[in-house]
Amino acid sequence: MLNPAARHNLAVAILHGVHIRIAGSAGYYCGGLGDGASIEIEGSAGWGLAESMLSGTVVVHGNAGSGAAAALRNGSVIVHGDAAARLGVSMKGGEVIVAGNCGYMAGFMAQKGTLIVCGDAGDAFADSMYATVCYVGGKIASLGTDAVLSALDPAEIERLEASLSAHLPPAVRRSKPAAADFKKVIAGRKLWNFDKREWRTWQEAL
Amino acid sequence: MAELQTSGIFAPGVIEDIQAKAESGLYSIRGFGTLRERRWATFDDLTFLPCSLTRIPLEGYREKCSTKTVLGTRFAKKPIELDIPIMITGMSWGALSFNAKVALAKGAASAGSSNTTGDGGMLRAERDNSRTLIYEVLPSRYGINIHHMREADAIELTIGQGAKPGTGGLLLGSKVSDRIAEQRDLPIGVDQRSPARHPDFLGPDDMIIKVEELREATDWQVPIFIKMGASRVYDDVKLAAKAGADVIVVDGMEGGTGASPAIFQEHTGIPTLAAVCEARLALEDIGLYGEVQLIISGGIRDGVDAAKAMALGADACYIGTASLIALNCNKPIYEDDYRAIGAAPHACHHCHTGRCPVGITTQDPELMNRLDIDQGAERVRNLLRAMTLEIQMLARSCGKSNIHHLEPEDLAALTLDASAVCGIPLAGTRKVFGK
Repeated sequence: MLNPAARHNLAVAILHGVHIRIAGSAGYYCGGLGDGASIEIEGSAGWGLAESMLSGTVVVHGNAGSGAAAALRNGSVIVHGDAAARLGVSMKGGEVIVAGNCGYMAGFMAQKGTLIVCGDAGDAFADSMYATVCYVGGKIASLGTDAVLSALDPAEIERLEASLSAHLPPAVRRSKPAAADFKKVIAGRKLWNFDKREWRTWQEAL
Repeated sequence: MAELQTSGIFAPGVIEDIQAKAESGLYSIRGFGTLRERRWATFDDLTFLPCSLTRIPLEGYREKCSTKTVLGTRFAKKPIELDIPIMITGMSWGALSFNAKVALAKGAASAGSSNTTGDGGMLRAERDNSRTLIYEVLPSRYGINIHHMREADAIELTIGQGAKPGTGGLLLGSKVSDRIAEQRDLPIGVDQRSPARHPDFLGPDDMIIKVEELREATDWQVPIFIKMGASRVYDDVKLAAKAGADVIVVDGMEGGTGASPAIFQEHTGIPTLAAVCEARLALEDIGLYGEVQLIISGGIRDGVDAAKAMALGADACYIGTASLIALNCNKPIYEDDYRAIGAAPHACHHCHTGRCPVGITTQDPELMNRLDIDQGAERVRNLLRAMTLEIQMLARSCGKSNIHHLEPEDLAALTLDASAVCGIPLAGTRKVFGK
């Protein structure tokens, strides 16, 4: 797709296993609601990249705007640059990899799947999550409500390395931390059910 | 002995509520909708002005009076066409049992109407038994599936609902069974609190692009509804219209819910009567009344409420709670099971427990099997037909050969409040109060 001019809603709801290369930047919701396509954006992408995608792959060579991979159900979303706020919010499966940094509230209410940020993560990271597993290669500005750090086991480190090597260009991968140095963040499960302690938990989040 | 007096401020219910909070440290959660005595202007504060000498009525039981309802004529290539103006609102599989969802679909279809999915995606059996299915896109995006969306006859982008505007859905762990958890990609048994905001847009400007995405995804074929809880209706309706909605749904504070904090049901939003008046005014002021269709919901009980809402400007009405009552909600059967959850027939608002004695708001297979799908569908169909007959009778008495010709002039207000809210003269005067 030539001269995309960062138009909104490019390659929405593509339901076939085609490869689409966008020679430039895309606006909002590029690759949204798709199932099976492989989409490559040579520039950057606006809000809601690949939102609610059922399967397929979306690769962004530049940066991604807010809400990238929101409500993702499966497939892969790969961003070679940075991602803005609310990366992977409400994601329900699949794999999200950001080679650079991510903004505020990434992983908010994420339910399943894997969220990997090779650089730094912004405030309120992984807030109110369910069963998504997050990995961060750089610093985390602050953890969100009910997000906790957890240790990586050897098998996990191996899987993480395999994933990064498979999805990132070699030069990009080499510039990022080793898999063993990533931090793992999961839900503390204190908010999964109503509890007398909830009030205190929310107060701590303020 | 003189009768002991209870406090008007710290009434028995207030004392119980304070003590429950003191015990649990939690706010109260329940289902159903507001339980407050209605002291605000309602549809009951209006009366119809049938024909006498100034207008000629149609024969009440016989003469043709069209009920055909077309929604989505603004941009969609395929507007939906219904035989009647009463539609079934969105209620999730999760909040409701499988049998309830299928019975509603089947009943609505046989009455020539529509049903709506809910916060949890579409059931195959629901689609297969629907004539016209509206697919909800909610902030949680539970179960969202492009293939299901493309099977739908309309898409409803839900911003909020009348029972709890400004907050997300709630499904307590007792109802997050293995099947519901799988459908929603959640762990089994969590108290699922849905997000209040959509994950990929924030304000009305972004929503314009979102609406366009939904149109792209459905090839510009089907209408896009935007649904919201009634709060700042006048402005919200204008913004929804600007965002490109074909149909706007406004859900008043009397709307029901499967579960939410009780304070939202009792203390948020504006009444349905006020909402329909504000919505109509907003559309008139931007020149889109009639071009953007309006659906009103929230506590619609019968054909009279619906006819009054239509006279005030609605093109159609959603019902939720009334359709569940048709399925036997609050019916005096299985009374021991009502008692077991601290409820009683006619006083059960315990949908949140998942122990619905009549099999509607439960995921327990044994309880669910108390609701026979075919019998339930027949009751829903009968209710929809009876409500439509009521609207037709009132319309004929006002001289209308089409229920959509009902107008504010067909009404008089019985209270000052209703006059001021609706801009309709108080009966016995020629005055609109507040003007």
